[in-house]
Amino acid sequence: MKRGVGLGKVKVVVHGLGFIALNHHLPSLKRMDDVEISGVVSRNIEHAKKVARDYGARPYSSLEEAIEKEKPDIVVICTETFRHKGDALTSIEYGVNIFLEKPITLRLKDADDIINTAKKKGVKLMVGHVLRFWPEYVATKDMVDKGEIGNPVVARAYRYVSFPPWSFKRWHKDLEKSGGVFVDLSIHDVDFLRWVLGEVEEVFARGATVYEDTTAPVYMHALLKFKNGAIAYVDGSWLIPPTHPFYTYLEIAGTRGLLVVDNLTTAGLRVYLKDEVRCWTPVPRDGYYLELRSFINSVKKDLEPAITGEEARKSLEVTLAALKSFKENRPVKLPLEEEVI
Amino acid sequence: MGKLKFAILSFAHIHAWSYASVLKDLEKENEVEFVAVYDDDPERLKKAAEAYGVKQYSDYIRLLEVEKPDAVIVTSENAKHISQVLAACEKGIHVLCEKPIATTLKDADEMIRAVEKSGVKFQTAFVMRYHEVTVETKRIIDEGSIGEIVAITSTNHGKYPGLWFGDPDLAGGGAIMDHTVHNADLMRWYTKDEAKEVYAIYKKNIRDYLKVEDNALITIRFKKGVVASIDCSWSRPDSWPIWGDVYLGIFGTEGYIVVDAFRSFIILAPDKGAMTSRYFGTNPDYEMIKDFIRVIKEDDTPRATVYDGRQALEIALAAYKSLEKKAPVELPL
Repeated sequence: MKRGVGLGKVKVVVHGLGFIALNHHLPSLKRMDDVEISGVVSRNIEHAKKVARDYGARPYSSLEEAIEKEKPDIVVICTETFRHKGDALTSIEYGVNIFLEKPITLRLKDADDIINTAKKKGVKLMVGHVLRFWPEYVATKDMVDKGEIGNPVVARAYRYVSFPPWSFKRWHKDLEKSGGVFVDLSIHDVDFLRWVLGEVEEVFARGATVYEDTTAPVYMHALLKFKNGAIAYVDGSWLIPPTHPFYTYLEIAGTRGLLVVDNLTTAGLRVYLKDEVRCWTPVPRDGYYLELRSFINSVKKDLEPAITGEEARKSLEVTLAALKSFKENRPVKLPLEEEVI
Repeated sequence: MGKLKFAILSFAHIHAWSYASVLKDLEKENEVEFVAVYDDDPERLKKAAEAYGVKQYSDYIRLLEVEKPDAVIVTSENAKHISQVLAACEKGIHVLCEKPIATTLKDADEMIRAVEKSGVKFQTAFVMRYHEVTVETKRIIDEGSIGEIVAITSTNHGKYPGLWFGDPDLAGGGAIMDHTVHNADLMRWYTKDEAKEVYAIYKKNIRDYLKVEDNALITIRFKKGVVASIDCSWSRPDSWPIWGDVYLGIFGTEGYIVVDAFRSFIILAPDKGAMTSRYFGTNPDYEMIKDFIRVIKEDDTPRATVYDGRQALEIALAAYKSLEKKAPVELPL
């Protein structure tokens, strides 16, 4: 295993060429002078070839082959959640550092396997809980830490996106593959709230699967009790039509003040297309850029990654507790004693 | 039927001032005659009587006997509604009662019996059934534009109202008692269904000097499966530019509605001090009282009955019970 790749270019292979890779990770990596996107991997080699042309990389249909040929410093894994374990372990076995999309896995045991194997092999692992690099969430964390709202008491977080059209029909609808909207989407807010408020003690959740061919909840809300006594409401939905822009809302009421932010009323830019509305605040370095940059720096300088596997596992555990509560209709205490999916 | 004679029983609840202004407006339209006010607080009584130029009574029984109003608006402290409502019913006087209609189901059930026995019109002041935004939402839902309702996420945030709202004996509780019933009622109205199970959590407290809870998160399952939530917290600090909100995100199988009923405001930032705001939406109090008059004149059923008042109260009480049991609570209680 290489430590501290030094001043040369960092070689990166991107595995899984879906929405997040095409829209965020690949464009971010391309902007980094010290990064070489040497390979891209997709089970569909024609798709890999097309993406490879766009990024000056070599296309592969197998992760093993890409790693053997490219000998990358880092693999960025953005495959479907149910493939994370296999893809992560493959990379780790080859001694390659991994940036893994969230959620880390769907099962705690699988998360432990990845974390432990990475430790054993001396491989760096970071999971993409991107809110820890997202401007308004970073600012919120900073304000709370500085005591600007006193002690946090009650928080609310929403995250709504219309059915992931690029993949929903294939895997998001399947509980065994995606975990549903709370595990897949609300895990962002859960991770952020854990970052700000500390560990969660108990979860109660309700949700709905809605469609006959769907086993995964497409709507879910959860009430969280934190160890420090604070409470939070987390609301996740894939049930908004594509005419509604991606929406996030966050408020935290504390003993000395209230903090509120959402992505729409603060959007610096609003774009209305025929069947899509996009609202966002463009920044030169967005959360996706910054999280990858942070991980690449930690690989180059041999530092502990900003978001460890253990942190990602804890956030996963809270979302799984929500799923368990949804299934069993009762409050669920942490830690979980058995798998939920 | 000519002009209806109205009296207001107590100005303890801050809404009384708004209702009184509406009565004065309706007087100009020759719809009503606002004749008298009652209050057990002498100073408040004097202030109200002088503000509206009406007769004052420190004994509500006497007011009912002497003035013989056609209808009363009951805006006393929550726990005091019951005796005034029962007195009005006994004398055949119609009642518009502030929410929550009572602090216990026993009182609410006694009100229902008195209303049924006397045949008076009893309207619960679920003013949110009269806001243009929520009325339009009802129409959109009923015409099927968003398909079947799957989930409703809602807030009724506010500042701490002060006064007796922090007194558990008079208010019957804190933020849950004050701020659950409007949203619970809208959910019942929109889903045409009843709550089946309630679970709640809270942390005491944002304001450590309060005896009652000033925050809570409540989740509800309705009989036919709709899942819903209410954040009833008085989580807005005094410096917040508006009093609070009534917000509902309604997820349907075919669409999504966002109700943000009091979002229509202009921000005013003074050169110093906190920002304030000016609301420019419709005044649902006016529509509600006007419809109450119509219900009396046309012998119709109120849009929100005493039974609706009771059912919403039951959801709030179930939330308290859930906090006590630390478990989901089945309805009916």
